[in-house]
Amino acid sequence: MIFGSREWRFARRFAKAAQVAPAGPLRAYYEAGHAHFSTPVEAVEMIAIDLETDGLDFAESAILEAGLVGMSAGRIRGDAALRIRFRPAGALSERSVVVHRITDDALADALPEEEALPLLLGHLAGKVPVAHFADIEAGFLDAACRRVYGAPFVAPFVCTMQLESRWFPRTRAADGLRLAKLRAGYRLPAYRAHDGVTDALACAELLLAQIAHRGARELVLDDLLRR
Amino acid sequence: MTEQPIEIDEVSGFLRRHEPFAYLDDAQLALVSRAVEVSYFRRGAPIVRAGDENRYLSVVRSGAVELRLGGTELNSRLGEGDSFGYPSLIRSGPAQNEAVALEDTLLYRIGKEAFHRARAENAAFRTFYDTDEAARLRRAVDAMRAAREGEAAVGDTLGAHAPLSSLVRRREVVSGSPGTAIREAARIMAEQDVSTLPVWDGGRLAGILTDKDLRRRVLAPGLDPGRPVAEVMTPDPVTAVEDTPILAALLVMADRHIHHLPVTDAGGKVVAVVSSNDILARLGSNALHIAKEVASATDGKELARATAQLPQALAGLVGTGVDADHIARYVSTIGEGAHRRLLELAEAELGPPPVPYALVCFGSLARAEQALGSDQDNGFIMGEGFERTRHDAYFEQLAQRLSDGLDGAGYRYCPGNIMATNPAYRRTAAEWEAHFRSWIDSPEPQAILESTIFFDMRALAGEAALVDGLRQTVFGAARDNRIFLSFIARAAAVTRVPLGFFRNFLLQHDADEGDVLDLKGQAIAPIVDLARTHALANAIPATNTQERLRAASEAGSLDPDAARDLAAGFEFVREVRFRHQADQIAAGQPPSNKLDPASLSRFDREHLRDAFRLIRRQLDKLRSDFAGGLM
Repeated sequence: MIFGSREWRFARRFAKAAQVAPAGPLRAYYEAGHAHFSTPVEAVEMIAIDLETDGLDFAESAILEAGLVGMSAGRIRGDAALRIRFRPAGALSERSVVVHRITDDALADALPEEEALPLLLGHLAGKVPVAHFADIEAGFLDAACRRVYGAPFVAPFVCTMQLESRWFPRTRAADGLRLAKLRAGYRLPAYRAHDGVTDALACAELLLAQIAHRGARELVLDDLLRR
Repeated sequence: MTEQPIEIDEVSGFLRRHEPFAYLDDAQLALVSRAVEVSYFRRGAPIVRAGDENRYLSVVRSGAVELRLGGTELNSRLGEGDSFGYPSLIRSGPAQNEAVALEDTLLYRIGKEAFHRARAENAAFRTFYDTDEAARLRRAVDAMRAAREGEAAVGDTLGAHAPLSSLVRRREVVSGSPGTAIREAARIMAEQDVSTLPVWDGGRLAGILTDKDLRRRVLAPGLDPGRPVAEVMTPDPVTAVEDTPILAALLVMADRHIHHLPVTDAGGKVVAVVSSNDILARLGSNALHIAKEVASATDGKELARATAQLPQALAGLVGTGVDADHIARYVSTIGEGAHRRLLELAEAELGPPPVPYALVCFGSLARAEQALGSDQDNGFIMGEGFERTRHDAYFEQLAQRLSDGLDGAGYRYCPGNIMATNPAYRRTAAEWEAHFRSWIDSPEPQAILESTIFFDMRALAGEAALVDGLRQTVFGAARDNRIFLSFIARAAAVTRVPLGFFRNFLLQHDADEGDVLDLKGQAIAPIVDLARTHALANAIPATNTQERLRAASEAGSLDPDAARDLAAGFEFVREVRFRHQADQIAAGQPPSNKLDPASLSRFDREHLRDAFRLIRRQLDKLRSDFAGGLM
């Protein structure tokens, strides 16, 4: 690891957060470590994640659902998808009921945040999370960990939205970086939005398409990571 | 809340919408969905290389994939929902095809363990991935037949395929003997309320006495009713065994212009007599009426009025589930009747022919495989005593009337001028023979291509022996001429049978995507050509394609499996054609052999592709067997 490099800086943040994490699920997450930034992309275990939330304010809004889809060896795995439902403390806003189609019935098998979060951390441990506009997922997970464990959440995120503007810079319409728009450009099928697992799958497929179109040999994890 | 991985709805939902995954139950589908790995390939990227190990059944989720046999020869193009890779999994050998992304492609790849498990657990899934297209095609033909029989069992108007015995209401048959007095026979018929009386001579059916015989041969001429029945009965009647399909019986009756058919059991004992009215009541169709009206037309206009009903009758037969072979035979029967009646009318006007002759027809009508919209192909063979200067004027007029009448009745003038109106096709048997000889002895590719339909010939009227004799001589000469046979085989193999379909297009070998499938030219004609080549090579006298295939198999010229597969393919493509024509008729369009690939059902597309593949393989074989592979 080169002193002062992106990986060195990330590793320091990761280690610092680990130090303040109390014993338990978050500590276990940090103990699993993180992938080296020089690892070839095909050898990186990734997990696409999409959070459905009650609003956009990290601190005020609640996570309603996490959709996860695992990826390894440059492929999306059909046997590694997961949905974790969170039960918000207060009542659902009407808007999120409509947008996420989450009803009280669906909440029946949802878990309170302090039970859902450990499950989610268990699946993220040691892996590279992938999200479209990853600031949202990173922000919500950090806020939740601070709430529940009093410590930050640090992970080497890949953001497909950022990757698109970095790898394929061009002038775009205001909504040109939206997931559905970008997918259509790669001839990927249209999906129903706002289901956690479907959105995670949509994001994972987009990443595969971006990597294929980038066409570079010997891509490493560092090339993909959020800057 | 569980921590178990779940199915991805987008994946299982997509699979569920496509064959053969639609056949899987929920548990089987879950198993397969979880075995999916999703990959993305950029346009032009190789997916599998020929000769590599393949571990997946691949399903195109979006985009398109091209398969090339051995990496070179285009095999197929696959779009959304199509799968590949199964032959190598089933064979557990290396991939034979190279798979390349034709467009940016998202691929679902299902691990071989899950594929084999689904095959083991689900018969419909296994059947779909059968690598033997001939077996698949035969099953499709069987399925169509079963569907027809299912309908027949339910529907009350149906039963064209039901046996004659289903029409028989009572099985005791009253009968007379040749010596019975006419008066006594009439009394029995009146008492028993029957319109037909079988006449037995010992153990043999000597004839039948019908109401019509009594009117025409007894009452009208004032014959003494004390005379024996033998003098007025219709002798040596055509009979049918009771398990004959009703439609087959109808064809016999239409062909022979008879209205009563004694039905026998397997032992030859007459168990009933069915009338054309019984059959018509059952079929509820004007099918037999047309034949009657054609046979009794008093002029070309009446005849044209009768044949004008043919499209509706065909639509009716298709609708009642009659199979392609019987429909083609029926259409041919009407065509034949039209030729005969027009000649009769012309002879009545022009006087009897000065010398014996035969009307010979060529092509589909000769093969009893006519469909709607055929044009006329005919000629005259002149018999003993023909002198051109003295007699030809008569035959020229006869031909003109025939040809004009046929054109009026919907059998258009032949664009290639293969008609008796053309002096080149009014020849003596010896001249015809010389004409054929020139093709056989010094074959030229173009001449061969244009001459093949002449080798499908049949007498429609006049001296059938003239045609039979010509065929025998010609086919004998053809069989013994390897060079000629190689030309015929090459001409057959010239047809480019499509590879299959890609999206809504027809895929050709040169990667062209056409938007019209010519069922006749691209699927039916090649099978006809194959059968004809084998018929010529073995001097098989049969003209009908199915009969030729059977005879070629018996002669050892064609592998029995190949003969059976080609027959199934022939039946299937003709079935598609007639269904298509029935739809056109219902929509008020003129029937044609061309269709838009987008209009085909998935079932038809899959099985047409199987048929194409089978035909291509047999054409390749023909090429190597007869043309020494030099093409």
